[in-house]
Amino acid sequence: MNARVKDVLGLLARLILGGVLIYAGAVKVGKPLTSQRAVQAYDVLPYDLAGWVGLILPFAEIVLGLLLVLGLFTRLAAAISALLMTIFIVGIAQAWARGLTIDCGCFGGGGQVTAGETAYPQEIARDLGLVLCGAWLWWRPTSIASLDRVLFGASKEN
Amino acid sequence: MGKSSRPARKQGPVNDRQAKIQAAAASTSKGPNKIVIGTVVAVLAVIAIVVGAIWQQNSKTDSITDGGKAVPAGTSMGAGFTAYADATLKAGAPTLDVFEDFQCPACKLFEDQMGPTVASLAREGKIKAVYHIKTFLDDNLGNDSSMRAGIGALCAADAGKFEAFHDATYAGQPAKEGEGWTDAQLHAFAQGAGITGTALTTWDECTKAKKYQNYLSDLEEVTFKAGVKSTPTLKLNGTVLDLNTLVDSTGKAYDPAKFTAAITAATK
Repeated sequence: MNARVKDVLGLLARLILGGVLIYAGAVKVGKPLTSQRAVQAYDVLPYDLAGWVGLILPFAEIVLGLLLVLGLFTRLAAAISALLMTIFIVGIAQAWARGLTIDCGCFGGGGQVTAGETAYPQEIARDLGLVLCGAWLWWRPTSIASLDRVLFGASKEN
Repeated sequence: MGKSSRPARKQGPVNDRQAKIQAAAASTSKGPNKIVIGTVVAVLAVIAIVVGAIWQQNSKTDSITDGGKAVPAGTSMGAGFTAYADATLKAGAPTLDVFEDFQCPACKLFEDQMGPTVASLAREGKIKAVYHIKTFLDDNLGNDSSMRAGIGALCAADAGKFEAFHDATYAGQPAKEGEGWTDAQLHAFAQGAGITGTALTTWDECTKAKKYQNYLSDLEEVTFKAGVKSTPTLKLNGTVLDLNTLVDSTGKAYDPAKFTAAITAATK
């Protein structure tokens, strides 16, 4: 694979991961209670702390998504995003393993659902794909049409 | 770099200080400084996240403290509302706690198929029916209809018409979840519940003042913390009654006979 192809792949990874993050954050804005309860439904963090995570998460997702789409500090943003997705996978997996019946609340909604409505394998598979996008960009953050390149030059690893 | 004992490289920086000077010179000559931009972006990101979270928290707090702080007669903060309170409870009659959100389609399904059975058992004093009106769907659906309908039901309770308003509102639930109700629709439910004349005027004032908003917001939080995470939820003498055990052989509809049997079994 030559560098040009890798640069284009980098752009794709940025747009997919960044786009999903922006969308996931945006649909939660203005729905604080739903967002808080989605986190509380995982039953991992203490109630109040989970509430704050629920309030903060949408905006953190949007900020990370914007950085990725713009290609600014790509490596750092990708590493944090991949870490975030990994945490989501762990959260979903523990809910599955403990027999909780929740919606992941990834794109709004969330909370308890009936046993037949859970979608743990699909949710984990999707997040794994997003981890791969983040991992690629962490390994090779350079890509075309990025602010990193405009601001800091093509040769620099960001 | 960083170890002063390291020998100087040929034509390289002689020491740390010199290296820093060179680095600074290099960065200014190559356009934007990455550290400066990085700091600005990091600060903006933190501000966006913190301001956003606080704004969300405030909008939530407003909806809780805004409006009336009255507590419906016959109950207290965090406790449900006992319907059919004028019925004489039979000895050993169990308590049925019903957790519902007026906008919840599954609650309408339950009310359509089981509501009449619950009502007749309660009227006969065979159960104590306690309604916990939940309002969490407002946040999710982006409206305030669960809260307005809930306040409407409690204002109807002031006129002794809680049950009739409750039933009229479920009967009038929009086919599409999230459409909610206009004030005029809720007013019509109150009329349909038999509230007339000065009582209707009082109902209008009560709902306009959102008299029971604080009670309902608190109840939503209290019931969620107590583990009621979806609606409808039923508790019989404090134990969750699995609704899946109440469906008929097709698995698609509730079987009132099974419900009655569960009530009989719980009667001491």
